[in-house]
Amino acid sequence: MPYIYPIIKADYLQRTRSYSFLITLAVTIFMAYSFIPAQNASYTTLSAAGYKGVYNSAWVGYVSGIMTTIMLSYFGFMLINSGIKKDIETEVGLIIATTPISNFKYLLSKQLSNYLVLLTIAGITFSVSIGVFFIRGTGYPFVLSNFILPYLFFAVPALFVVASLAVVGEVFLGKRSILQFIAYFALCGICMSLINSKSGAQTTGAFDPFGLSLITSSITDHINSHYGEDIKKVSFGFLFNGQRAYKPFTWEGLDWSAVFIGSRLMWMGLGLVLVYSSSLFFHRFDFRQAVSTKKKKKEMVSIAEVKPMAKSIGLSRAGLPALNFDYGIFPLVKTEFLLLIRQGNKWLWLLNAGLWLAMCFVPLSIAYSYLLPILLFFQVTRWSELATKEQSNRVHYFAYAAYKPLQRMLPAQILAGVILALGLCLPVIIRCAIAADTYAVVNIMNGAILIVLLAVALGMLTGGKKLFEVFFFLLTYCVVNKLPVTDYLGSLPHQNMTLFMLLILGVNVALAIVSLMARSYQTRHL
Amino acid sequence: MTLTITNLSKQYNAQKTAVSNFSLTMNKGVLGLLGPNGAGKSTLMKIIATISKPSAGSLHLGGTDIVQNPNSIRKVLGYLPQDFGVYPNLNAYEFLEYIAAMKGLGGKGLRQRIDLLLEGVNLTADAKRPIGTYSGGMKQRIGIAQALLNDPKVLIFDEPTVGLDPEERMRFRQLIADLAQDSIIILSSHIVSDIETIADEVAIMQEGKLITHAPQYDIIKQAEGRIFEVLLDNADLNAFKHQFKVIDTARQADKIKVRYISTAHAAAPLSIQVTATLEDAYLFLTHNNS
Repeated sequence: MPYIYPIIKADYLQRTRSYSFLITLAVTIFMAYSFIPAQNASYTTLSAAGYKGVYNSAWVGYVSGIMTTIMLSYFGFMLINSGIKKDIETEVGLIIATTPISNFKYLLSKQLSNYLVLLTIAGITFSVSIGVFFIRGTGYPFVLSNFILPYLFFAVPALFVVASLAVVGEVFLGKRSILQFIAYFALCGICMSLINSKSGAQTTGAFDPFGLSLITSSITDHINSHYGEDIKKVSFGFLFNGQRAYKPFTWEGLDWSAVFIGSRLMWMGLGLVLVYSSSLFFHRFDFRQAVSTKKKKKEMVSIAEVKPMAKSIGLSRAGLPALNFDYGIFPLVKTEFLLLIRQGNKWLWLLNAGLWLAMCFVPLSIAYSYLLPILLFFQVTRWSELATKEQSNRVHYFAYAAYKPLQRMLPAQILAGVILALGLCLPVIIRCAIAADTYAVVNIMNGAILIVLLAVALGMLTGGKKLFEVFFFLLTYCVVNKLPVTDYLGSLPHQNMTLFMLLILGVNVALAIVSLMARSYQTRHL
Repeated sequence: MTLTITNLSKQYNAQKTAVSNFSLTMNKGVLGLLGPNGAGKSTLMKIIATISKPSAGSLHLGGTDIVQNPNSIRKVLGYLPQDFGVYPNLNAYEFLEYIAAMKGLGGKGLRQRIDLLLEGVNLTADAKRPIGTYSGGMKQRIGIAQALLNDPKVLIFDEPTVGLDPEERMRFRQLIADLAQDSIIILSSHIVSDIETIADEVAIMQEGKLITHAPQYDIIKQAEGRIFEVLLDNADLNAFKHQFKVIDTARQADKIKVRYISTAHAAAPLSIQVTATLEDAYLFLTHNNS
C-alpha cells in the first residue's frame, strides 16, 4: 500500500488547513485547560461520591486522558464525519472512482486521515495537560508515564474506533448527517453505560470500547478499601455542583494488564473489520445504483419525450414582459425558508413533528429543559447551511452581485432561520405564556434568535458549517446537563433574570453586527 | 450609457497582481475579452460585477462611480460567472424566482417572464425537476436565463458557451446579437470563434495588462502578412516548431499542413501567406508580448 500515504496526507492537509480547524484547536486548548478544574471551581470532571483526587501526576494525567477520550469520542465524530461527503461535493470522488484504488484502501485512507485529525487534537490536549499539571499542581512530582499511558491505552484505541465509525456512518447513511449523529450518540450512550460495569478482575475494561471501566473500578476499589465506603460508580463529564467541598484522596494510577492492552488492539481490529465490511457496500460515487430500475426507466422515457433541442436559447428581448421592481425581502425570506425546510431528509420531519407534539403534552419543565434544546439541535444541519450555502453551492456570485445583498439577503436568511426556530419553540412559548411566565417567553425567543445568529456568524467567519455543528452539539450537551453558563434558552433559574435576558440580547446584537461585517466583507472580496 | 475603466489594478499580495493598470471605455455592443489562463479576465469581470474590490483605479457607469456605489450597477447587471453553482434542491422555476427576488423583481409579469426565459433556454419541460439532476449544459442554460431576468443594461458573461452543444452555441450568439443593441456586453471565452462571430470590439489581456483594445478588424490587421501555411514531412515538424510559432497543424495524406506565425524570421521556403483570423491575431499578439 505505498500510495495510500499521499492520499492520507492530502486528505489530512485539506481538512486541517482551514480557519475552522484553527478555531477548533483554540477551543481544544480551552477545553483541555478546563478538564482539570481549579481548586475553587464550581464544577468537577470526575466525581466519586464526594471524593476527589489530589492533583498528582496520576490524577491530572488520567483525568485529562479520560476527558479527551470521552469528549473527542462525542464531538470528534461530528468533526470528521464528512471526509467522503467532501469528495462528493467537490466531485473529486468521480476522479477517485476511475483510479485503481480499491474501495477498502480508499475507505481506509479516509479512516486513517480521520484518525490523524483526532490524534492531532488529542496531542494538543496531552500537551496542555502537562502545562496544567505545573499550573495547578501542588508540589507532587512529575511522572511522564502517568500522562502518556492513559492517552496511549484509552484515547488512541478509542479514537481509532471513532474514526472507523465515521467512515461506516458515511458509507451507510451518506448525506443523512442527523441520522448519523442520532445513531452514533445512541451507541455512545450504550458505551458510556458500560463504564461503571464490573467484570472479572482480569477482564475489567476489556469489553468497553472506551476502556474506562478499568479506571472506575480502580478508583471505587481504592476509595472503598481505604475509606470504608461502598461507592459503586464514578461520574465523568462537566459536573456542576457549586463549590462543593470534596474529600481528597491520593490515587497513583493503574496497573495495566496484558488482557486490557490486548483488548485495545482487539477494538482497533474491530474498527478495521468495520471499515472493510463497509467497503463491500461502498457506492464508489455511483449514485445511480441507488435509483430503482423502474424509476430509472420512467425518467429516461420522460427525458426522451421532452427534449426538442432545436428550440434551445431562442430568446428575444422584445418578447419578454415589462419588469416590475420590488425590493422588499419577503420573496427572499420565502425561498430561504423553503431551502431550510427542504434541507436534509423528509423523514426527519416526522421526528421533529413527534418531538413538537410531545412538547405540547409532557410536563413543561421537561419540554423546556430537555425536548426543546434537543429539537432545536436536530435542525443543526439546516441552520449551519443558512449563510454558507451560497459559497458551498457556488451561488455566491449571483447573490453578492444582486441588488443590496447586505441589506436584503442577509436579513432574509436570518429571518427565515428565526421563523423556523420560533415555529419549533411554539408549544413551549404558548405554554409559558399561559403560565404567565414572561421571562421564559422572552428567553426562549432570545435563545432561538441566538442559535440562528450563531450559525450565521460562525458560518461566515469560518467559511464552513462544521464549527457551528460541533459547537451547537456541545452547547446542547451542556444545556441538557444543566450547565448554567450555557443556558441559552433560560430554562434554569438565574439570580437576576432581567440581567440574563439583557445578556443574551447583547450577545445577539453582537452576533448580528459580526454577521453584517463579515457579509459586507464577503460581498466585495471574491 | 458608457462604462469607463480607469487605471484599474487588483493586487492580491506582493507577488500576485491579477489586473494591472487597466483602462478601457465602452458603449453599447459586445466586447470580447481574450487572454491566456491567468491573464486576469475573470478578476476584471468580478470587479465590474462588484463582487471584488479593485486595489486601485476607478470604474464609472454613466458617470456613477460603481466602486463607491455598487448598488447602482447591480440594478442593471446580468452576470454569468465561469464556475457558478445552483441550489440542487430547488427546481429551475424556484431558482429563477429566488434570483429574481435577489435582483428586486416582482409583480405579475415575473411569472410570465420566467416562463418565457425557461422556454427560451428550452428548460420548460424540466422546470419542475430539481436542478441537482440537470446536466452541465442545462445548468449553463439556467445560468444564462438568470443573467437575463432583470433586462440588464450591462451583461457580463465569463465563458458562457462552456457545456453548450454547437446548436445551442449558435443560438446563444444570436441572442447576444439581439441584446447588444441595447446593452453593454462583456464576454470572455477561450473559444475564439465565439468572440469572432459575436464581438464588435476585442480586448486582449496578458499577465493582468491590456495588450490591445480595438475593433475586431483592426486587431486582425495587426497580424496581416505574418501568417503562413506550409506542407511539411512529419519528421521536420519538431525542428520547425523551434523556429516558428505554430498555430495549427492538420494531417494531409503523408504530409502535415502547418499554419504558423512568422515574426523575426523570414517565412519558411514553399510557404504561402494566408488571410489572418482573430485567432491568428490573438496568438500573434500574445506571443509577441511574452
